[in-house]
Amino acid sequence: MTERYRLLSITKRYGSNVAVDIDSLTLAAGRLYTLTGANGAGKSTLLGILAFLTPPTTGEIFYAGERIDWKSDIVRRRRRKVTLLHQSPYLFDGTVFRNVAYGLKARGIAGEATLRAVDRALETVGLEGFRDRDARKLSGGEAQRVAMARALALDPEVLLLDEPLANIDRETAVLLETVIASLPSRGTTVVMTSHDPDHPARLNGGAIVLEGGKVAHADL
Amino acid sequence: MDFLVSSFAAALRLIGSFSPDVLDAVRTSLLVSAGATVFAALFGVPVGLAVGLTDSRLSGFAVTALNTLMAVPTVVVGLLVYGFLSRQGPLGGLGLLFTPTAIVIGGTLLASPIVANYTLASVRGADSRILPTALTLGAGPFRAAATLVGEIRFGVFAAVIAGFGRVVAEVGVAMMLGGNIRGYTRTMTTAIALETSKGEFSFGMALGIVLMTVALIVNLFLSLLQRR
Repeated sequence: MTERYRLLSITKRYGSNVAVDIDSLTLAAGRLYTLTGANGAGKSTLLGILAFLTPPTTGEIFYAGERIDWKSDIVRRRRRKVTLLHQSPYLFDGTVFRNVAYGLKARGIAGEATLRAVDRALETVGLEGFRDRDARKLSGGEAQRVAMARALALDPEVLLLDEPLANIDRETAVLLETVIASLPSRGTTVVMTSHDPDHPARLNGGAIVLEGGKVAHADL
Repeated sequence: MDFLVSSFAAALRLIGSFSPDVLDAVRTSLLVSAGATVFAALFGVPVGLAVGLTDSRLSGFAVTALNTLMAVPTVVVGLLVYGFLSRQGPLGGLGLLFTPTAIVIGGTLLASPIVANYTLASVRGADSRILPTALTLGAGPFRAAATLVGEIRFGVFAAVIAGFGRVVAEVGVAMMLGGNIRGYTRTMTTAIALETSKGEFSFGMALGIVLMTVALIVNLFLSLLQRR
């Protein structure tokens, strides 16, 4: 097992409220994990920490064996290996192409390579021909798929998904579930929050249950 | 009432005849206001962005300072800049007092807090998902900030236009720093003040009509942007 993340004594506090309190958690490369727990259990906060967007209050995180120093350039470098897809994704004003190409441009990728990557990502989520559509005029399901394409275009080492299958139609959910299930075979680590207790078994992945910010159960 | 009606008619005739004095004042007003607005935007937008994106005690102080600066009377700004630009002042050697440049400097100081405050309000009111989305897609802090500005561009435009509105309508700075020199630093507002005191009410009214028209256009544009 190749280690992707190792979390040691991680806490995240907002005032007196402890959102996350994890003694130890190790996540492997190329594996899918379903993160479950009641609302307020700390799932989204944990995803923010794993995405290197939310610094923990205390504790240490190792990514691929490297200790993350939140004040150094390591965070930005590692952040480029990880993509977080929010539950209600924000699409930038403009075309679908602009959205899907955003992360590629941020990495200095341009021209034909961008076109190919965007088209491939849109095809993966069943949105061929959507490149020039206005992103703000898409349906909820289409917007979710564009956000997924935007993440997939970057071919991240880790994809963090915050309830990606909530609030979308059945057909889109099936499509996205298939796409998500295929990612570990490409070496991508997936951590997905969900309220569906069947997801871990159906997606053939590990399961982490959070209660009050703590890991109540882990089947890694 | 006849006085007002006849003055209004004379004012319209002055505008229609393209009186050189009216045109000079309008041109000077628009030029110095545009210049001051550009500089205020260059300073105010980054400041509003920085304060809006920072969550610290310092940003709270900055918000208070910006609100205070917005309320500073124009004559106080005029007085302060006059002190710097007058012959005995530290920048007196530059010979800028009673030039359009001096009005631009004063106008910049007047408009900057407005531009910064309106930009700050736009940043604080922006969708909270914009920055995390940009960052998680690999943007660095500057690209993420630029993306945020792009997403709230109508609010930023509105901030800049509000700054222009403040400068074009003020009289204190233009009078104290420009000196109301005919054909050189005489703006619409200083000309209105002077001509009315001389009894040239119709001339003042002509400029008042132009100024109101400019203010109307600016506000129409502003409300159009705020609806976006």
